[in-house]
Amino acid sequence: MNIFKYIMFNFSRMIILIILVCIVTFTLVVNSPIDPIRQYIGEGNTVSIEQRGEIEKYWGLDESKIDRFINWSSNLLKGDLGESLIFRKSVISVISERAINSLFLMVSAFILSGMVGYILGLIMGKYRDSLLDKIIKSICITFTATPTFWVGILMLIIFSVKLKIFPIGFSVPIGITTDNINILEKIHHAILPIITLTLVFVPNVAMHTRSKTIEVLQSDYVLFAIAKGESEKSILKNHIFKNTVLPAVTIQFGSFSEIFGGSVLAESVFSYPGLGSTVVQAGLGGDIPLLLGTTIITAIFVFMGNFIADILHMAMNPMIREEKV
Amino acid sequence: MKKNYLLLILSIVIMLLSVTSCSNDSGDLTNVVNENETKDTIVMAIGSEPDEGFNPIYGWGRYGSPLIQSTLVETNANMEIVGDLATDYTISDDSLTWTFNLRENAYFTDGELVTADDVVFTYEKAKESNSIVDLTVLESIKAVDEFTVQMKLSRPESAFIYSISKTGIVPEHVYDNEYGEKPIGSGPFKFVQWDKGQQLILEANEEYYGNIPEMKKVVILFMEEDAALIAAQTGTLDVAMTVPSMSSVEIEGMNLYSADTIDNRGITLPVVSNEGKTTSEGYPIGNDVTSDIAIRRALSYGLDRNKMIEDVLSGYGVPAYTEADNMPWFNEDCIIEYDIENAKSILEETGWIDSDNDGIREKDGLKAEFSLIYAAGDSVRQGLALSASNQAKDLGISIKVEGLSWDEIDKRMFRDPVLMGWGDQTPMETYMLYHSSNKGVDYYNPENYSNEIVDKYMEQALEATDSQIANELWKKAQWDGKTGTSTLGDSPWVWLVNIDHLYYVKEGLDVGQQKIHPHGHAWPLAANLRDWKWIK
Repeated sequence: MNIFKYIMFNFSRMIILIILVCIVTFTLVVNSPIDPIRQYIGEGNTVSIEQRGEIEKYWGLDESKIDRFINWSSNLLKGDLGESLIFRKSVISVISERAINSLFLMVSAFILSGMVGYILGLIMGKYRDSLLDKIIKSICITFTATPTFWVGILMLIIFSVKLKIFPIGFSVPIGITTDNINILEKIHHAILPIITLTLVFVPNVAMHTRSKTIEVLQSDYVLFAIAKGESEKSILKNHIFKNTVLPAVTIQFGSFSEIFGGSVLAESVFSYPGLGSTVVQAGLGGDIPLLLGTTIITAIFVFMGNFIADILHMAMNPMIREEKV
Repeated sequence: MKKNYLLLILSIVIMLLSVTSCSNDSGDLTNVVNENETKDTIVMAIGSEPDEGFNPIYGWGRYGSPLIQSTLVETNANMEIVGDLATDYTISDDSLTWTFNLRENAYFTDGELVTADDVVFTYEKAKESNSIVDLTVLESIKAVDEFTVQMKLSRPESAFIYSISKTGIVPEHVYDNEYGEKPIGSGPFKFVQWDKGQQLILEANEEYYGNIPEMKKVVILFMEEDAALIAAQTGTLDVAMTVPSMSSVEIEGMNLYSADTIDNRGITLPVVSNEGKTTSEGYPIGNDVTSDIAIRRALSYGLDRNKMIEDVLSGYGVPAYTEADNMPWFNEDCIIEYDIENAKSILEETGWIDSDNDGIREKDGLKAEFSLIYAAGDSVRQGLALSASNQAKDLGISIKVEGLSWDEIDKRMFRDPVLMGWGDQTPMETYMLYHSSNKGVDYYNPENYSNEIVDKYMEQALEATDSQIANELWKKAQWDGKTGTSTLGDSPWVWLVNIDHLYYVKEGLDVGQQKIHPHGHAWPLAANLRDWKWIK
């Protein structure tokens, strides 16, 4: 019952968050210096003033900002995210078409970077200040400082141009009709973007786990365990693992939003059709319904990430459970 | 821990598996051709996909050609109007009734005949689409019989034919909201598949009423220029669009192809003086320096366009003298020579003299000084603006360059010169830029230009029922021997350059005779895709 209460409390927090996100995003978009009509028509297109007026009316730009917000939010309450202006179809269908690809990238990179990062962190912590630690640490620091798109381009140059192991992008082979594509080919196309994202997000967890591990290894209870003659395996299992996995999970779930942002960049480098490119198109094209739609979905996504981290915490750590409930 | 190891091992295995499974390259179109047969496929990266899908009603095909659908008429390589679905058309004496006679042997790829009803349906649908397809001049359209269509215009507009030449005809019997995702048309190519955000696959329409394309399979990839450059280096692409800043890369087996364009850039110069007037939104109008025609002319003669092309465009461009260089409606008399001495003497004779030796001329206490605005973030515009500013120093004119957002430009363009660009393949652009009805409206005519004689020529050109006569009148609007919109006349714009469009093209690919490309860079190259061939 108490757990249920806790979940309800968080759920209502999410609703409030979404309302705030809607208001802030809407305000930002309608006041952005981008003229959506100008973006849509493009330069060098002689469209008469009359037709411009028609387009403005169709996009609802002739109404006041408040009216537009009321229209949009009342539709939202009915579960209708509205029509995308540039795609000319419902926002839901545009998002659902592309979310699958993005989710596949993000979830794979999320799990992979979490695991690899955690293991690397443990290794670095255990053998701190050794040559191995120094090498891994330098690599981590390098990738922390490298922008995602740059890692992506390097990957392409090494693995696609020079070694020709991986394709040059896209989620499907070039020029092949759908019925001739198997799942392995799809995975093959996703590997480079996943590796790129993983490389960018490993350092975060790894460095964090490293310092945690060092902290635990220097603690009194580990010293005591060693003195007691506990085996290395048992120390790892009972002390180090228990005390470092939680922070690692928290850090990883907390960086949900960054992974989303990173995937936007990776998608553009690898011409991978996902939500990322949609957000960019919506933003630059002044497509308010689509931009708000993707923002809401993203907000829910990020909130859920943090929420899962909370729940995991409770499940794993009796101390927190006592406190919270 | 165990589980982690397992997962890791599993993912490594999957990776290895997929590497081996694809190493035989079954997945990609191989560029290997047998010794004794010519290639008949093509893979290209030429820009971005249309968001709304391949639906002419929302504007698909207006840059270049709709490929999948055919149009009533089309423009040939010399930008002359020729028949396509319509074998011929007539315009009534009052210029308002246009009658098109359709060919009777055009079929959609699902086997249905293309009839007048489809044309009527397309135009009526497009008229109410509130899209980039501007049919405001079209009052009504009806089918006279199965193969005759009649349009009624609300006012004379001979240039409307160029809009018609870009409007693909859709089949009424299968049209629905999803049409753009699985289009059926009567054009030279047949739609096969669209992977959103990734690629469009087309094949030659073997039932096409015209010349059947030699390219039997066409794959168009949607990728950013930098990704396309990398892809081209792997040998995957036959055509890749690129930009001057990246064009120094040598790609083995590919040549750099530069297409002539009317993708022009120039400077708008307000022609009215500042009398404290404002627009309805309260933005100031007029500029005391640029409203002096001597300043406008001196800039036109005194800016070295070729130097700009070398410095800013790495040589990929040609000087521009009007908004429509080398189009059938371009008046060649408007071509001028760069002549800094002439520019200086124009200024001297009109009383612009540097009397206080600060390097800037004055006239009646007014310094020859103004701001030049460009859209921040556009490096080409920035380069051109700075180059103009540097060169103007030698003339004794001081130009302050400012990069602003369009938002800010909107507020200042009626008072300050702006570096802008146009380049639509229609003389309607000339009308929009210079006709007094657009005076002080939007981006078309922020310089508040109007000239009764020019107005008259342009109105007559729109009323003309013959394109030859219309073109002659458009030319007169630029310069009739006494007045006009060009440098020889009122010079409300100083046109600077036409920017070449660059593509990497595989050796042995013939992209046919290209039209002069419009402002949009990408699709226009494929406008004549049906004429492309591989030369052995």
